[in-house]
Amino acid sequence: MAEYKLLLEHSHEPEFRTLHGYLARGGYAALNRAKGMERQAIIDEVKTSGLRGRGGAGFPTWIKWNGIEKEKTRPHYLICNADEGEPGTFKDKQLMETTPFLVIEGMTIAALATQADAGYIYIRGEFVDAAKSLRAAIDEAYAHGYLGQNILGTGLNFDLYIHMGAGSYECGEESALMSSLMGERGMPRLKFPHAPLPTVAGVWDQPTIINNVETYAAAVPILAKGGEWYVTLGANTKNSRGTKIFSVSAHVNKPGNYEIEFGTPLMELLDLAGGMKGGALKACVPGGSSVPMLNAEDCQNAILAYEELWETGSMVGSGGCMFLNEHTCIVSYTWRTAQFYAMESCGKCTPCREGTKWMLQILERILRGNGQPGDMDLLMEITKQIDGRSFCGLGDAAAWPVAGAIKKFPEEFEYFIKNGRSMVDTPEARAMAPRWAQRAFSAV
Amino acid sequence: MSELIQLGAQRPKAPAPDQLELRFSDKAIAELDALRTHYPTEKACILPGLWIAQREYDGYLSPAAIAEVAHRLHRSYAEVEGVATFYSMYTTAHQPGRHMIEVCTCLSCHMCGAYRIADYLEAKLGVKLGETTPDGVFTIHEVECLDACDRAPVLQVGDQYVGPVTEADIDALLDRLRNEDSSAVVQLADSIVQVHLRDTERAK
Ligand SMILES: Cc1cc2nc3c(=O)[nH]c(=O)nc-3n(C[C@H](O)[C@H](O)[C@H](O)COP(=O)(O)O)c2cc1C
Ligand code: SF4
Ligand code: FES
Repeated sequence: MAEYKLLLEHSHEPEFRTLHGYLARGGYAALNRAKGMERQAIIDEVKTSGLRGRGGAGFPTWIKWNGIEKEKTRPHYLICNADEGEPGTFKDKQLMETTPFLVIEGMTIAALATQADAGYIYIRGEFVDAAKSLRAAIDEAYAHGYLGQNILGTGLNFDLYIHMGAGSYECGEESALMSSLMGERGMPRLKFPHAPLPTVAGVWDQPTIINNVETYAAAVPILAKGGEWYVTLGANTKNSRGTKIFSVSAHVNKPGNYEIEFGTPLMELLDLAGGMKGGALKACVPGGSSVPMLNAEDCQNAILAYEELWETGSMVGSGGCMFLNEHTCIVSYTWRTAQFYAMESCGKCTPCREGTKWMLQILERILRGNGQPGDMDLLMEITKQIDGRSFCGLGDAAAWPVAGAIKKFPEEFEYFIKNGRSMVDTPEARAMAPRWAQRAFSAV
Repeated sequence: MSELIQLGAQRPKAPAPDQLELRFSDKAIAELDALRTHYPTEKACILPGLWIAQREYDGYLSPAAIAEVAHRLHRSYAEVEGVATFYSMYTTAHQPGRHMIEVCTCLSCHMCGAYRIADYLEAKLGVKLGETTPDGVFTIHEVECLDACDRAPVLQVGDQYVGPVTEADIDALLDRLRNEDSSAVVQLADSIVQVHLRDTERAK
């Protein structure tokens, strides 16, 4: 299998960012088809396609769309989660920058199906180039009747706004994102079953759909070519249909975004990314910083699909795939992961606020050569205290990679704690380490 | 922790309501008016309003800047300050340098040598991460993943990403920035404000 470019097909063509260029390459065929369909038929098409959310959790998209009240009694909102913050992931950025009309058309289709009045694209603050590209596309779409009043004669009035974040990973979590959109600190809210679903009471307490950038974009080929066609992609997997963009980075020769059909072996993704750089494969974090790592042996059999990757011990997540070479000190890598979550924890709940900091402190003392004999057990215990006991998914996401690394590479943690030095004693490993930890690695 | 407490203590207090000095330009007021039409509540304008303020107040959300946002949006000072301090891209601690250089040291960047890049920047500028050079030109910061890992190790300067960077690239970058008078920090805030607005809403 090679790349299967469904969303990224025209990504390299600058004209695709203009309405003219988009139309010339089949743009808006999907909306034109959807506008002749019943609202329920659009949702059913998405159901047939088997599309699952590309933001990390893999939730069936049609269920969200179907959950919006059919007899409209109040405003309906659509949110595009473009807060992409998961370390290792950079696909939404490329989609917005190079294929802005796919995002706009996908959202317009969703608006048509759910009678949405307004949509908000919540973009992470750093993504200025992506936002500029979307801005230009939105302006053009308004000017030509693809947004605003009575879109393409459908009777749909749909306004699309850009809302920029200001630096917070937690705002990618959907309820925190809604808080942020409403002008608050990016803290998550109580969720179902303790509170209504967003489709019933989301942003401003109105029915709301929230999907990832890639999810909306995928709705375009689904409506253009049909759900029946879409399910033929990834047909050999248990329940993963269509294509998925993986952002490949770290120790590879050609880092970048690669769109593949579900069911592609992980090792083929590595080939697409030019193979390993600087040393042999040691570990892979296939779906963004939150997911447990795989060792080289796991990688040989890993298949890129939701259930299949889960059975191998990891997850598709957001598709941020990092390959790590033999010079990687797993303890150092894990410490840096822990720092990320400790920095980004919003502080609302105790297990995550305290637990992420404790994990960081323990990993830091190991890295400084001051690890204590019980530290591995202590770390595992803390991950158990966080996982499933936190208010939102960030806590779980902080616990999994630490627990996963200890499970896959226990000997490296043991060695570091016992000897006060890294087991990976190469100049390359030393070159990666923060200055204060370099003592634990030999010089050239 | 003690550092944070000190920082809190050093931070000037909110201006008293009768001492409010409003500094927003006509352009800023027009932008805020346009933004109000984007949301069903005025409160939702707090984030974009803070971006406007960060531009209008030379890249620093001082208590006066926060007070102006609170005043214009009819919110309390405490509420708006609470929002501003939650987000890492709002500069609330102190006046940053003209150019803010943010070094990503997160996972992929860590793997691709970001700590050496950070060391080099510190040595070259003679300040530590989080500090501003005495001439007020550069502030350097360590940041979490910029989601540009394909360009690791990567820096963010204003609204631009630079990467993968080498020491030689940093030399060239610093030389170029030193000669640029306009503030990249203000530039970033302005770009962010502008992308919120439709062409019909933007100041000509
Ligand atoms: C801590 C945390 C961060 C998240 N960050 C993102 C993100 O940056 N982008 C995203 O689309 N979803 C993110 N999610 C998932 C969202 O909560 C939500 O599931 C998703 O936006 C739904 O869209 P989808 O069904 O299209 O995937 C995050 C979740 C958690 C717990
Ligand atoms: S798990 Fe708790 S502290 Fe962590 S981000 Fe979620 S709500 Fe905040
Ligand atoms: S780790 Fe540096 S940009 Fe992602």
